[in-house]
Amino acid sequence: MEEEVLDKAVFLYLKKKGFTQTEQIFQQEQHSKNKNSSSSVNATDVSLSDPDLAKQILAFSQSESIPALYHDGYSKLRSWTYSSLDLYKHELLRVLYPVFIHCFMDLIAKGHLQEARTFFNSFREDHEMMHSRDLTKLEGVLSPSHLEEMEFAHSLRQSKVNIKICQYSYELLLQYLHKTQSITMLGIINEHINFQVSPGQPSSISDDAEAFSLVGSGQDAANLINQKEIHWGLLEDSLEERLDKAGGLLSDSEKTEGDAKEGELDENKKKSTEGGKQGGPLKKLKKDKVSGAAGKAARGEGEKASAAPRVKPELTLPTIPTDVEHSILEDLRNRVQLSNSTLPSVSFYTFINTHNGLNCSSISHDGSLVAGGFSDSSLKVWDMAKLGRMGSSMLQGENDSAPNENTLGSNGGKRSYTLYQGHSGPVYSASFSPLGDFLLSSSSDSTIRLWSTKFNANLVCYKGHNYPVWDVQFSPLGHYFASASHDRTARIWSMDRIQPLRILAGHLSDVDCVQWHMNCNYVATGSSDKTVRLWDVQTGECIRIFIGHRSMILCLAMSPDGRYMASGDEDGTIMMWDVSNGRCVTPLVGHTSCVWSLAFSCEGSLLASGSADSTVKLWDVNTSVKMPKSEENKSGNTNRLRSLKTLPTKSTPVYALRFSRRNLLFAAGALSTNV
Amino acid sequence: MNIVEKESIEVIAQSIGVGNLSPDVLPSLAADIEYRISEIMQEAIKCMRHAKRTAMTSDDVDSALELRKMEPIYVASGDSLRFKRAARHKDLFYVEDKDVEFREVIEAALPKAPLDTAVVNHWLAIEGVQPAIPENAPLEALLTPFDNKKPDFKEDGVSIDMKTPVKHVLSIELQLYFEKITDLTVSRSNSIIFNKALLSLATDAGLHPLVPYFIYFVAEEVTRNLNNFQLLFALMRLVRSLLQNPFLHIEPYLHQLMPSVMTCLVAKSLGNKLTDNHWELRNFTANLVASICRRFGHGYHNLQLRVTRTLLHAFLDPAKAFPQHYGAIKGITALGSSVVRLLLLPNLDPYLQIIEPEMQLDNQKDESRRHEARQVHGALMCAAGLCIYNQLKMIPNLFSPPTHAIWKSNGKDLTANPNKRKAGINNLMMEQTLKKAATGDGSVGGHLVKVEMPGASSGFSITRGVSDVGVHPLPRYLPNDNIPGSSGRRDKFGGAAQTSSVAVARAWKKEVNAGHLLPKLYDLFGESMLPFVPSPELCDIYI
Repeated sequence: MEEEVLDKAVFLYLKKKGFTQTEQIFQQEQHSKNKNSSSSVNATDVSLSDPDLAKQILAFSQSESIPALYHDGYSKLRSWTYSSLDLYKHELLRVLYPVFIHCFMDLIAKGHLQEARTFFNSFREDHEMMHSRDLTKLEGVLSPSHLEEMEFAHSLRQSKVNIKICQYSYELLLQYLHKTQSITMLGIINEHINFQVSPGQPSSISDDAEAFSLVGSGQDAANLINQKEIHWGLLEDSLEERLDKAGGLLSDSEKTEGDAKEGELDENKKKSTEGGKQGGPLKKLKKDKVSGAAGKAARGEGEKASAAPRVKPELTLPTIPTDVEHSILEDLRNRVQLSNSTLPSVSFYTFINTHNGLNCSSISHDGSLVAGGFSDSSLKVWDMAKLGRMGSSMLQGENDSAPNENTLGSNGGKRSYTLYQGHSGPVYSASFSPLGDFLLSSSSDSTIRLWSTKFNANLVCYKGHNYPVWDVQFSPLGHYFASASHDRTARIWSMDRIQPLRILAGHLSDVDCVQWHMNCNYVATGSSDKTVRLWDVQTGECIRIFIGHRSMILCLAMSPDGRYMASGDEDGTIMMWDVSNGRCVTPLVGHTSCVWSLAFSCEGSLLASGSADSTVKLWDVNTSVKMPKSEENKSGNTNRLRSLKTLPTKSTPVYALRFSRRNLLFAAGALSTNV
Repeated sequence: MNIVEKESIEVIAQSIGVGNLSPDVLPSLAADIEYRISEIMQEAIKCMRHAKRTAMTSDDVDSALELRKMEPIYVASGDSLRFKRAARHKDLFYVEDKDVEFREVIEAALPKAPLDTAVVNHWLAIEGVQPAIPENAPLEALLTPFDNKKPDFKEDGVSIDMKTPVKHVLSIELQLYFEKITDLTVSRSNSIIFNKALLSLATDAGLHPLVPYFIYFVAEEVTRNLNNFQLLFALMRLVRSLLQNPFLHIEPYLHQLMPSVMTCLVAKSLGNKLTDNHWELRNFTANLVASICRRFGHGYHNLQLRVTRTLLHAFLDPAKAFPQHYGAIKGITALGSSVVRLLLLPNLDPYLQIIEPEMQLDNQKDESRRHEARQVHGALMCAAGLCIYNQLKMIPNLFSPPTHAIWKSNGKDLTANPNKRKAGINNLMMEQTLKKAATGDGSVGGHLVKVEMPGASSGFSITRGVSDVGVHPLPRYLPNDNIPGSSGRRDKFGGAAQTSSVAVARAWKKEVNAGHLLPKLYDLFGESMLPFVPSPELCDIYI
């Protein structure tokens, strides 16, 4: 073995220097040596008799290429790992860190100090997240003697790292190493890593506590990133806060003023509410029901919300027109307070005859508009208020023939919906602006389009992503929006610019869903790499990583007080996270299939989840949040307590959920024949 | 882990005309293909998820190929491409490729245009409660929300209310077991293997999923085969084995089981041949009924009450045949001597007057009828004898005079009423469930003796009504209450001793009454009563 290496070194050296003749002679010698095996024994004996010489030859050949070899080898291995299959990626990623530190230490040991530094600095960011403490230690290693002295480095050199890996990942890795002839990497891996190959499926990412404790640093290092400061409080001077104040003052001075205002505002209000609330018969129904408890409910909610800290907006936020503001305040006053004993009413929009083509659905804040994105590139919007009116006018007879004509005319023909055409690929997501006047859609043609629901026309086409855009969402106050794409980035946009304002990169796989924080300063993204990240919109930095899901994240929701976040995955697990410290509060188990949609009620006491198992489940947030994780582990049936109600649909997977400002829950889904 | 074998590569290579593929490249090609396929699948799964689906379609694969900047495979999407397993080959699949006649396609009528997408709105819940409207899942589905729900949706978008049957899944093993047992019961009930089967039924754990099937099987077979003595007997043995099995939970099915069992006890004819020893079957079933009453009597306090009522009606109805009387008597006897005392003995005198002439050769010419009468007489005698035996045996232990007064005072009115009402409610509920069951299998009604279920108070009027009509010629002997010992009973005991009804309520506890009873029975049955007297001393004292 040693002899072969020697020969190779000599061979390489000759080749490099261009000594072709010598090379040929050397090769001939080699052949002849191999042919008469009996004599080769002697030959080896001779070569072995002079070990010093052999070492010299080797060292000579190495000195030329070593730093570059390490650098190239590692960067190739790294890029190969990052482009490997999602299923095996996290296992292969575990291999990178030990390879990295040993490359570094090898370089140091061989005296290439300068190269070692550049190598270290160029790749340290990869491991900053998991192993920052170890890296700062290693950074101090500046000479071969340091390696000997430093206990940490010494123990790293001495011991082998155990890595659990599944059969297939192992084979992939070996195949890669052999194919690319990266002897250096292979050497390091053989020398310092002890693979525990297990047959069958790769282990889940959340199981790999070993990944963190790889070099004994523990969970702290992993959580370092989660210790960054976060201001999860609500925005100052929010409408809720204003309502609270107004509610207190309304009794005296405000009232007279309010009356005076009422007169001029009445018209405006009517206009603004016309589209949304008057139209739907269901709205009226709700209003009647609500009116009793309304005042108290709103007040109580206000107090609760004011307990949350206030933060200043970091973005310049759009101003809300006063008439809209008043209609929102009106809604807030009439809000039903929900709790585990008072459950919401659920209005369900069922898409029929979708022929398996419905990809996504979105409901506007007041529930009057429903959008559906289809795989035939079309986007369709139904005005439920108009549909309701049409239905009622038909019942009433010919009295209201005029508005009836109008609605038919505006929709063009017999169609019950407005068709938005423009995309050239399946539409994967749609999002209404908070006021319902704009609609965003994202498609596999890698564009995002902005539509006006007033003019029924496409306004802007945002190009920036270079792969399908899986998700798009308006910020809670409009104007800004965030998108998530297959290109592993999420982007922040504003309506008036066709280029993105921020690119949020860091996920190791597709970014599948995106969700704004209530105060517009943060954006959460869920990914196929099974993690959820929280990003600071202003700086574009990742400030939280939530690890714990075992499969692709499909949906996210933020609690109205800004403190908690819920995420649903492919397996039907819902996780509740504390944004302030990045920990999982509790997993909510109950769904048997993909959770497509999550929504918090407006005061944050309930969480609704919609799933492919054709149910809407209501969860009690308060008990879920209060219950510490340890206790929950003790008693298995607490899950049942937290799950308040399961509402099965007939055969309709639930695609979208939305709590209106008055706490009516809207749900939408496509009636499917093959559930 | 290898999904793609190198042999497949060879085959594929040959099929596209590459013959000279060296064996060295096969494994690496296979590995690479496997990797590429999983890569495409990974992307296809993402596309599937974002299209909010849980089943992958060929569109997803196409999208995945596009994501990887590859040419999609242009094929029709949908269900038309279904791989079929080749006959006689386990691992060979193919896509069916039908020849299509061009002209047919051209001349065929245009298919209907697909209906346009629409959105309909309904209330899934109102303040957390699901309204019972056709758009919502039926209530049954609430209990089993994850059972496979059949899509009740027509192409025209009208949804119909359809009840979804709950699927009960039986393992193959259990199915085989059930088939084997039922087969044995029907065809080979005399074999040794049937005894083994019965033993297995009586001891095996894990048969519980089969209980409803066995109960139904018994009910079905009893109804259809009233003249097949062999089968009936086998069925009753099967029932007994089921009851013996400590792992089975039979209670919920009792209401289905009892009619079958009672039929085998008091049906007019069991078996069609003279040789069929239906007397034995009735004896067997009587014990079975008694064991059921003993075991489940605590859980269902009106179980025994209903059984005795049925039996008593069979007994007191002279229109019924002697074998029926016999079954009734046997049934009552098996329930214990106190029941015999309370129900049988009061009616003994008049009944014997009816049956005596039947046993005389000169009065009854029909040999078989005379035989039946004699059997009934024997049964009666046996019942009376057991009764007297038990009582006489108890005498020495029951000398506790101070308690008598208390018994008398609360015997009748004070405590009886609240209990009655309670029992009434219970019975009413029971009645409803049983009615449901009865309507469920109406076909059984024809043959099976319906177990009557009058409540202690409400049911009373029913029986009285019947007796008033005059079906029963012995109305005055209907007991006033059907719960033995729960309240006083007006005893018309041949004028021999008792007039005080209160005292009679617990008469059997008193040695005095037993003393009166024996002579009475002696009058009725003659010498044959004496062997039942337990010890000679007592005999001496009272006779």
